[in-house]
Amino acid sequence: MASAFGNLVMAVRGIGSNWLRTLLTMLGVLIGVASVIVLLAIGTGSSQSIEKSIESLGSNTLTVFSGASSSSSSGTKIRNSTLNTASVSALSNSLNDPDVKSVSPVVTTSVTATYNGSSYSTSVIGSTASYLSAENYTVSAGRSISHADVADRAQVIDIGTSVASALFATGSDPLGKQIQLGSSEFTVVGLLASKGSSGLSNQDAVAIAPYTAVQDQLTGESASFSELLVQGKTPATLSLAESEVESTLASLNDTTVANLPFTVIDSASLLSTATSSSKTFTALLGWVAAVSLLVGAIGVMNIMLVTVTERTREIGIRKAIGARRRVILTQFLIESTVISFLGGIFGAFAGILVSHFKIDGVTPVLASYSIPLALGVAVSVGIVAGFYPAHRAASLRPIDALRYE
Amino acid sequence: MIAPSELEAPDHKAIDSTKPEPIIALKDIIKSYTMGGVEVLAIRGISLIVERGEFVAIMGTSGSGKSTLMNIVGCLDVPTSGHYRLDGVNIRHLDDLALSRIRNKKIGFVFQGFNLIPRMSAIHNVELPMTYSGVKPAERRKRALVALDMVGLGDRLSHFSSELSGGQQQRVAIARAMCTNPSLILADEPTGNLDSRSSAELMSLFTGLHDQGRTIVMITHEPDIAAYASRVVVLRDGEIVSDRPQGTSSAVSYELSPSGRYSFGDSGVES
Repeated sequence: MASAFGNLVMAVRGIGSNWLRTLLTMLGVLIGVASVIVLLAIGTGSSQSIEKSIESLGSNTLTVFSGASSSSSSGTKIRNSTLNTASVSALSNSLNDPDVKSVSPVVTTSVTATYNGSSYSTSVIGSTASYLSAENYTVSAGRSISHADVADRAQVIDIGTSVASALFATGSDPLGKQIQLGSSEFTVVGLLASKGSSGLSNQDAVAIAPYTAVQDQLTGESASFSELLVQGKTPATLSLAESEVESTLASLNDTTVANLPFTVIDSASLLSTATSSSKTFTALLGWVAAVSLLVGAIGVMNIMLVTVTERTREIGIRKAIGARRRVILTQFLIESTVISFLGGIFGAFAGILVSHFKIDGVTPVLASYSIPLALGVAVSVGIVAGFYPAHRAASLRPIDALRYE
Repeated sequence: MIAPSELEAPDHKAIDSTKPEPIIALKDIIKSYTMGGVEVLAIRGISLIVERGEFVAIMGTSGSGKSTLMNIVGCLDVPTSGHYRLDGVNIRHLDDLALSRIRNKKIGFVFQGFNLIPRMSAIHNVELPMTYSGVKPAERRKRALVALDMVGLGDRLSHFSSELSGGQQQRVAIARAMCTNPSLILADEPTGNLDSRSSAELMSLFTGLHDQGRTIVMITHEPDIAAYASRVVVLRDGEIVSDRPQGTSSAVSYELSPSGRYSFGDSGVES
């Protein structure tokens, strides 16, 4: 069309004739587009932080719990099986389980740790040296608990940064100090490097000691562990390791894999579950934002209907001097599209701006697709919402439109 | 003037090979409306021929059907029955798109209420019909400048209609009507909203256009305005009651013209 540019100029002039009204209409689209971008950024940000915290748990580990999951328990052959040192040594056999790197027995308890009048409630994990590497813990000062400590039932402990800062004054060195756990004393031999606070739990509020000492002093002597932490050799072979663990445990307990009295969970499946639930969450937020965009679209349609009514006479003149239906249709469609596109542009800026702030503890992460998506939706909103009013304008009979006062 | 019987010739295009086809040929035009379930006859059988170069005034009181006739002649409305040929084109059965093209190319409108588009400068208003017919921007600008110069508004190009007096607005409207070089200039009460001095200026513009050979049809109810035309058609109750030529230069009203020479029977369009 030869007059496409002229149409655009006319549209802008038409918009300019009633600034306040047009700005308010644009504001509707602006809020819609901005909320799409911000809410998608919040969704993306929170799902990324969940993924990060799950990855920090260790990305290639399996956790074996005693007790079968409800789906695999057949009811008739429930065995009161436990995870014990025999299980650990069977799983550590590299002939049966070539894809298992390490097996760490885990005993957990919650105690109040005290030192010099300061106290802190912490979870204590009794395990072996391999636990630290399997869970991605590193020692920033001192040393990790060792196999000798486990064999000696030594009352030594590695503490997380939250525990250290709660018990010890800043500047003082916790290494070598005796802290009170319940009624027993443990010597701090290492400080764990901070893993940061994940969305799930504070991973620095832990203390790791040899499981033998924890059983002796805190949980009481027992032959069984609450869980086993199995580290696979690589993330790629984790499913191989999982089936090896299952068959080893099945033969050890005289049963089949289907009737295994243990539950094996791998961190990857935990991750995918969390990822899919956070995707649902993000999509939900997106729909909420889409509703506000819809409200903006209704605003555009409303204002275009008012504009068409106001300019009935102008439409009559244009038709009388030879404007075709399509020209009138295009003119009003361009006008509504310009309104919603400008609203979309400003909305995108507003959305990007707001996404730089932390909202409700979540750091929003701009989803790269959200900006073209929101702008595309804004333009389609303009076309769709403008179509009916534009069609009405184009269908006016010139003599009726000219007679309109 | 052509007798109506000639219109019924099978080949309308070759009514008379020696004579050019009339600009307007109306035959037995009837227009009825339904208002509140009652059928109202606005035009009850009008036949009218307007030749190229004529300046015709159509007169009548309100309700005489002159506005309805003007809408039909201007292709803004279609008759209920009857035939209408505009500059050789049969208007019957034309769709919306074709009618808008006819209006754009063949008719220049001048309305009582000026009907310029607000928020558009004078020159843009004049350019608008050429925009719709796809004239190139440079050519558009050139022709609009010529037209505005001709109506004496060469120095008011970028003024908006709100910044122009009524007489100036109507001259912009004439420039707009002129610039597409239409077959017919159709003016609906062009002086209705103007004072007598602006009216006189405007009518001298029309007279000038007529002298250049333009065909003008003007609707008015003011006898002194109709006096500028070369022919006056009077409507009453949807029918033509009088149709007679008059001297173009005379500003005398038609009541004073020698009515004895032009009886109803002479007009040749009475059925």
